[in-house]
Order: sequence, then C-alpha cells, then structure tokens
Amino acid sequence: MAVRHLEVEVRREPKGAVLDLRGEINGFAQQALDAAYAEAEEGDPETILLNFEEVDYINSTGIALIVGLLARARASKRSLSAYGLSDHYVEIFNITRLSDFVSVFPDEKSALSEAKPA
Amino acid sequence: MTEASPPPEEKGEKQQPRDAAYWAKRVERLEVSAVPDGAANVNVQGRREVGALQGFGQLWQKTYRVRLTGVETTPEETVRIWKERFPEFQPPNSRFYPSMAGVAPGEVLFISASVGGMPVHTGVRVIYADDESFTVMTPEGHPESGWNTFSAYTDEDGTTVAQIQSLARANDPIYEIGFRIVGATEQERLWTHVLKSLSAHFGVNEPVTLEKACVDPKVQWSEMKNLWHNAGARSMLYTMAGPGRWMRGLMRRRST
Repeated sequence: MAVRHLEVEVRREPKGAVLDLRGEINGFAQQALDAAYAEAEEGDPETILLNFEEVDYINSTGIALIVGLLARARASKRSLSAYGLSDHYVEIFNITRLSDFVSVFPDEKSALSEAKPA
Repeated sequence: MTEASPPPEEKGEKQQPRDAAYWAKRVERLEVSAVPDGAANVNVQGRREVGALQGFGQLWQKTYRVRLTGVETTPEETVRIWKERFPEFQPPNSRFYPSMAGVAPGEVLFISASVGGMPVHTGVRVIYADDESFTVMTPEGHPESGWNTFSAYTDEDGTTVAQIQSLARANDPIYEIGFRIVGATEQERLWTHVLKSLSAHFGVNEPVTLEKACVDPKVQWSEMKNLWHNAGARSMLYTMAGPGRWMRGLMRRRST
C-alpha cells in the first residue's frame, strides 16, 4: 500500500488554531507537524486543535511526535485538543495515556465550544 | 498477558486502519499469566502503564543510531533479528525475560537489572510492533516513565540504520536524582551496548551516535506519589526477604 505522507494545513478560527492533518503520522511526519505547529503558534492562540478526521495511520513514532507537540503546548501554557479520532485512535490515545493530557472531542464544533476565545 | 488487536476487516465490519494489528489492546493494569524462568514478578502484576506524560522528572528524547555499513540486510530483517535476540543484546547487568510469544503486541518482558549494585526487578509491555519497529512502555515503579522504540530504516545511501529512540522521564524524585547524578549516563551506556551488540551480530563495528533533547525541562510535582511504586525500593525489600521465602518454602515442602 502506498504511503500517504502527512500534509498539514493551518486554519485560524476565532477560538483557536486548527491543524488539519491528512495522511500518515509516522517518523516521516516530523517536519510537516513541526512546521505547521510553529505556524499555528504565530497568532499566539490559547488553544490549538488537531483534526484527525483524515488521518489513516499512526504508529508509535507518530504518537511520540504528538507528545512533542503537547510538551511545546504546555511549555507555552496553551491547550492542545484533538477531534475527529476514530474509535481505534481514541483507543490508541488511551493505551498510550495521551488522553490523560489531550482532551478528545468528537468534532470541531464541540472542541471549539470548549476553547476560550483568543 | 494480552493479545494483539484482531486483524483488520471481518466481513460486514467497519474496516480497521492498517496499523490496527500492530497495536496492543488496552489494559487497565498489567496481568501476568506466566512468568518466564529466572524472572521475578515483583513489580509487574497489577501495575498500570505509564507514558512520557505521567512521570516526575524532565522529559528527554534520546535517539541512538548505528549504521550497518557494508551489510546486505533490510530494515525488516534487522528488526526480525532484534526481536528474536532482544535479551542476548543486553549487557550482563540488565537481563530481559520475554514471554513464550516473544516481542509481540501486548506481551510483557520482565527485566532484572542491577543499578549501582542494587537489584531492580521490573518489566515493560510491548505496545506496538510491526515489521520495522517495536515499542515498549513502562509500568508504574519502573525507573522511567515512557516509551522506547526500536526500529530500522534505510538511509539516503542505502545503508540500513538501527535506531533506538526513548521518550521518557524519571518516574519519581528518587529516580530523577539518580538520573541526574549517574543514571542517565548508565542508561546511555546500556542502549549503546545494545546497538553495539546488534551491529556485532552483523559483523559491523561502527560508532553509535546519540542525539538528545530535553522536551520538557519541568518536573511534575503532582507525580511525587509515584514514589510508592518505586521498583528499586520494592526489589530491595524483595531481595532482603529472600531467606524468609526460602525457609517458608522448605517448611511447606517438609509438611507435605
């Protein structure tokens, strides 16, 4: 099966920045994730949302990359949330205990409604 | 012990992502059904797993690499051998005891190590394993809270590179002090030894490189409570109680 390298688009919403993730989150995703996160931080949003609706593969290296984003968010006192995770990836967040620190929402509307205004 | 997630797609069921078969199932607490010969199930049964976010100390990412120069091996073959011979590649003061199923999603590997001359019995669980990598996660009480990923890949010039990446923090304040004084260096020696052993298996003697970055410099005071599970302290008590256990066993055998 062909590898779908990660593509990330950054959107700005009134209550935070959204990273629309598309493809696979593995070791090759680091550059794309880091660059997108840095772009999202430019507006100094209180909340950054990760949109997983179009993500179809996450391995353990990919989870480590998400932990790296979370550490950056916590260092700058930002909240990092996720939405659009399939049941399988919610389970992976539970296995790795990422869910202890990243709030997971079913959709963008509910995620943004919990976010504080920028 | 747990099983791997079921293979993707049974007829009529929603299709699972491609990675589903590689992840272990979630467990609330580690359950051990069989303890390998020589292993001590002192700090494994009933422990919760802890990741890079749950521990006490600074969060470090350390990446160790060795190039298998001049060897015709693929990343898949390298990782297959690594999984099969994982205990053999450890240094003498850090013994790993895999289950019969070996390195597979959901399996527990017991560890008996000697840290500064003190015994530490603990373990790790394989949370992810595919053809080119596997990841272990630590339980409560382990010196570290986090993951180690063992993998191989082909670099730009076609050489297979074996890599260990740890993303972890000390589990409690005692371990944090230990890591800052001497533990971090000991740990770096350990993983360097593992990569040296793996490369020696292929007849290669290349240097091991290490990149490290402090991902989160803060300690998490809310995790002070992890001291309760400290595997070093509990292993010491277990070792001190050894003669008592031996006596009780002897008396039991005589009475039957």
